[in-house]
Amino acid sequence: MLLPFALAGLFLVSPLLAQEVPATDTEPDAAQDARPERTLVVRPLEFELAVNDRAIVEAFVAGPDGQPTDEEVFFFSRSRRGVSVDGDGEVKALAPGDHRLIVRTRRKEGNRLEAQVLVHVPMPRLAEIRLDGDLPALFTGDRIALEIQAVDVLEGLRESPSFEVASSDVAVATITPWGEVQARAAGDTVLTIALEDQRLELPVRVAPNPAARLDFGSLPDTARTGDVLRFEATARDIDGKPLPSAKIQYSLSSRPDDDLGAAAGAQVALDGRFVAEAAGLHTVTATCGSAVAQHTLRVAPRDVGGKFELVGRGPVLDSHTSDLWVWTGVNGEDWAVTGTWGANGEAHFWNVTDPAAPERVATVTVDARTVNDVKVSPDGRLCVLSREGASDRKNGVVLVDVSNPREPRVISEYNEGLTGGVHNVFADGRHVYALSGGRRFDILDVSDPISPQTVGGFELETPGHSIHDVWVVDGVAYSSNWSDGVQMIDVGGGNMGGSPQAPVVMGSYTYPSGWNHAAYPYEDPETGRFYIIAGDEAFPYGLNITGRPTYPRGWIHFIDFTDKANPVEVARYQVPEAGTHNFWVQDDILYVAYYNGGVRAVDISGELMGDLYRQGREIAWYLPTDPEGFVPNAPMVWGPQPHKGNLFLSDWNSGLWVLKLIQGEG
Amino acid sequence: MGALLLVALAPLIAASPIAQEQAPGQALLDTPYRVLVCAESADEVVQIAFDGVTASVERVHTVGSLPTEIEGPHGLGVDPSGDAWYVTLAHGLPYGSLLKMDVVSGDVLGTCELGLFPATLCVSPDTGLLYCVNFDLHGDMSPSDVSIVDPEEMVEVGRTVVGAMPHGSRLAPGGDRLFVCSMMDGTLVELDGLRFEVRRSLSLEPRPSAAELAAQLEAKRAAEAAGRPVPIGPDHDHTGRLPRRTGRTDGPEEASAPDHGITKPTWAAPSPVAPFVYVCLNGASEVVEVDTLRWAVTRRFATGKAPYNADVTADGKTLVVTYKGAQQIGVWDLASGSERARIEASAPVPHGVVTSPDSAYAFVSNENRGSAPGTLDVIDLRSGRRVATAAVGLQAGGIALLPRRK
Repeated sequence: MLLPFALAGLFLVSPLLAQEVPATDTEPDAAQDARPERTLVVRPLEFELAVNDRAIVEAFVAGPDGQPTDEEVFFFSRSRRGVSVDGDGEVKALAPGDHRLIVRTRRKEGNRLEAQVLVHVPMPRLAEIRLDGDLPALFTGDRIALEIQAVDVLEGLRESPSFEVASSDVAVATITPWGEVQARAAGDTVLTIALEDQRLELPVRVAPNPAARLDFGSLPDTARTGDVLRFEATARDIDGKPLPSAKIQYSLSSRPDDDLGAAAGAQVALDGRFVAEAAGLHTVTATCGSAVAQHTLRVAPRDVGGKFELVGRGPVLDSHTSDLWVWTGVNGEDWAVTGTWGANGEAHFWNVTDPAAPERVATVTVDARTVNDVKVSPDGRLCVLSREGASDRKNGVVLVDVSNPREPRVISEYNEGLTGGVHNVFADGRHVYALSGGRRFDILDVSDPISPQTVGGFELETPGHSIHDVWVVDGVAYSSNWSDGVQMIDVGGGNMGGSPQAPVVMGSYTYPSGWNHAAYPYEDPETGRFYIIAGDEAFPYGLNITGRPTYPRGWIHFIDFTDKANPVEVARYQVPEAGTHNFWVQDDILYVAYYNGGVRAVDISGELMGDLYRQGREIAWYLPTDPEGFVPNAPMVWGPQPHKGNLFLSDWNSGLWVLKLIQGEG
Repeated sequence: MGALLLVALAPLIAASPIAQEQAPGQALLDTPYRVLVCAESADEVVQIAFDGVTASVERVHTVGSLPTEIEGPHGLGVDPSGDAWYVTLAHGLPYGSLLKMDVVSGDVLGTCELGLFPATLCVSPDTGLLYCVNFDLHGDMSPSDVSIVDPEEMVEVGRTVVGAMPHGSRLAPGGDRLFVCSMMDGTLVELDGLRFEVRRSLSLEPRPSAAELAAQLEAKRAAEAAGRPVPIGPDHDHTGRLPRRTGRTDGPEEASAPDHGITKPTWAAPSPVAPFVYVCLNGASEVVEVDTLRWAVTRRFATGKAPYNADVTADGKTLVVTYKGAQQIGVWDLASGSERARIEASAPVPHGVVTSPDSAYAFVSNENRGSAPGTLDVIDLRSGRRVATAAVGLQAGGIALLPRRK
């Protein structure tokens, strides 16, 4: 609907609010009654417009006689998602809020005339208040969280609505300030939820709670920190019959052994899962109506201490080192390749058959400033190097024959669709997964490495989507997508009909920070639970390329993907004052490159919940430093990879390191 | 992580001036020229002072928000007030962005997300708006656009589609029109800076011969008869000419794709005093002069390999062109249409050029390759000689001149 200004009966603001902006180039000592040389006339100056409605803002430059001149006037919106304006001043309201339009002239004799127009776009009228889901049967003592939505006539949801709530009989049930229905006594009441001119009435019947007792069944009396126990209480009626729909609430009290001001050190989830961070006595209480059950257990320290011992190293001191890959070559010897960052496009090849004395045997130089990622195919013959910062801006990947890593031979360079830069790659045999310009990953068939072909790819469709990494295991790709979180994608092994030519999304999970940088799958053999381990990358204090250490932040997220349609983030591993990068899992041990926090080994056996660092699951840590490092004495671990009983790692400032994890000797 | 913007001011870089023989007549200036140069693969913007004899690095600004990734500062521009400068970051998550920087403190004054690979930018003293092409260098050759930004609030206020891979763009002397050339469809576009609309478009691709037209028609009929897709070429001027393949290039031209224009215009440099725009045809190794009154090509200048950026001096007499594929810089006399000097650049891959307001000097950035640092060359336009050089950083590209202040 177009509302020409002349018919502006719907405007709340009078057309008298037109603005006249005198030009500032008028002679300052002109007679007081002299008209300014130029005046920008704009009307209306302020008005209200409903979403999707249109109106005209009239604007012209008046001369000294007050009459319009032919001087050009132009319009723009400083809030284009809220209100648009075209070159003729036609305005369209797009979203609620107060939005500013600018009306401006060209510069004339050093001055521009400008006026601001304020457009009020009110919230669309509320259409209804509705309950998301059904209200379950209520029994005395229950507390039920309600999901109430306020929906406007354009099907938009009000953000953070402030409902007014009431109960016709507060002795029976009320709504708490936190949006829960609290059932107090048996009886009937009507709960009323109101906002603006809409109200929702919920008839509620509270029945006497049939739960006569609660029992936990068999529970251990002891546990270790980090062990997850399930306190699943069963409510029973007076005849001992189970009440499966009974709503049971769990609470916790703790007496930690360390009573010198320590925190309580344990938690119990809404569903009764319990885990302790601190050793001591912990009591879980379950309630249902007036029925109560308690169980106390003694939690001992996890005691998984170990240590890393230095086995050997291959220093790289003249450039930053990026990722690494370690493999057994076709001749049976062991090899490693490391990339370089912000340098000359080099990848270094190492013989690590004697891990105590890595020997740099060759260097391949490609047209790039950063070879961020290096991967080798499972048969040990083909190495893939990523390229960023090419001199001709044609980035891509380079395939290298590493059948004899002492004499690596560049087979081909493949840039098709990848010129925006390849930050990470993965090689799983016939296919190479290569990131393209931070937007998607392409899937290349490298069965003929002389002539790779792009056969497929995957790109999200969310606004402003991006990608940082991809990792492939058994035909399932795990991509890390910053604010779009982790994606689990069938590329041939996910039983969802996916293939390299036609990937199929199996599941996804996002978390609020938007820091998702890496992902790694892990299935716990003890519980059968399947996790995607997601890592952050964040530099809130910047990255010091030379001269000073860097202080990244971020942690490891454990997302339970056992039910792929409903993934749940259940645990974290967070070293204070440090930041994560790449990681690897082997034999229930997570190896984390924790940048300035060095490398860490973490026990992730069994079910996971809570903060693994505080639970004492960390087995060992090591800080690689070198006084001659690119940044001296500054650990900045990039990536770990276990191989034949040793842990290889690349450090951004000092190159290749080899460690051995000694467990039980922390 | 994207929220935080990192800016660090590095101390003076030691030994940045590269030894240069002093040319006769060179003398210290009372007020130095100050030039900003992007080091695209180091995420740095380097400020260099030229005192008439020596070019030396004064400051290094580290820019970007993704420290371990190359974000690629590419385009530079200076606010008409002289109090701020602007730089585009080509890559983000995934969109690039624009930063507004304080000239004195080097602080970030504001940021604004733009499109894919925002590149060249200009700020109009006439409209007060900033115009920046979204180069979309690594996209699928679909038409891209120009972002129009209100630099006062650092908000994008408009976007206008102009062509495939819009790159070099410069404002007309009045500041109300923007000339944009698009590499992959071979067009020069005139954008109305007030209405944010394309006023007119000019194809810079060669016209097909009658034989080519006939062959194309035949190919089209054959395809239709066989039920195959009809060949599609860069038919933006609706002449029905044959599609041509550029094939893979060995030179240092920008990333290219087959089946698009062959001229690859990379820069539009309007004359400050005459109604002409000079367009670098990177793929054709020539510069064309476009008469903006007649909206037609009026002269062609055969250049060194792969002309890339250009600038016309303030007096309108001289055109300076970087020859990206030849490691050379051409100085052209516009009155005669002759190349007055051709100068060897100090490093491979010459990129940007800006001339001084007194028409005395040209400042040229050279990208170089690999870990070899880029350079800034100072060209004395009177003598036609390179008189100073400074090392910059990895892949020196975008360039802008700060107001001369003591």
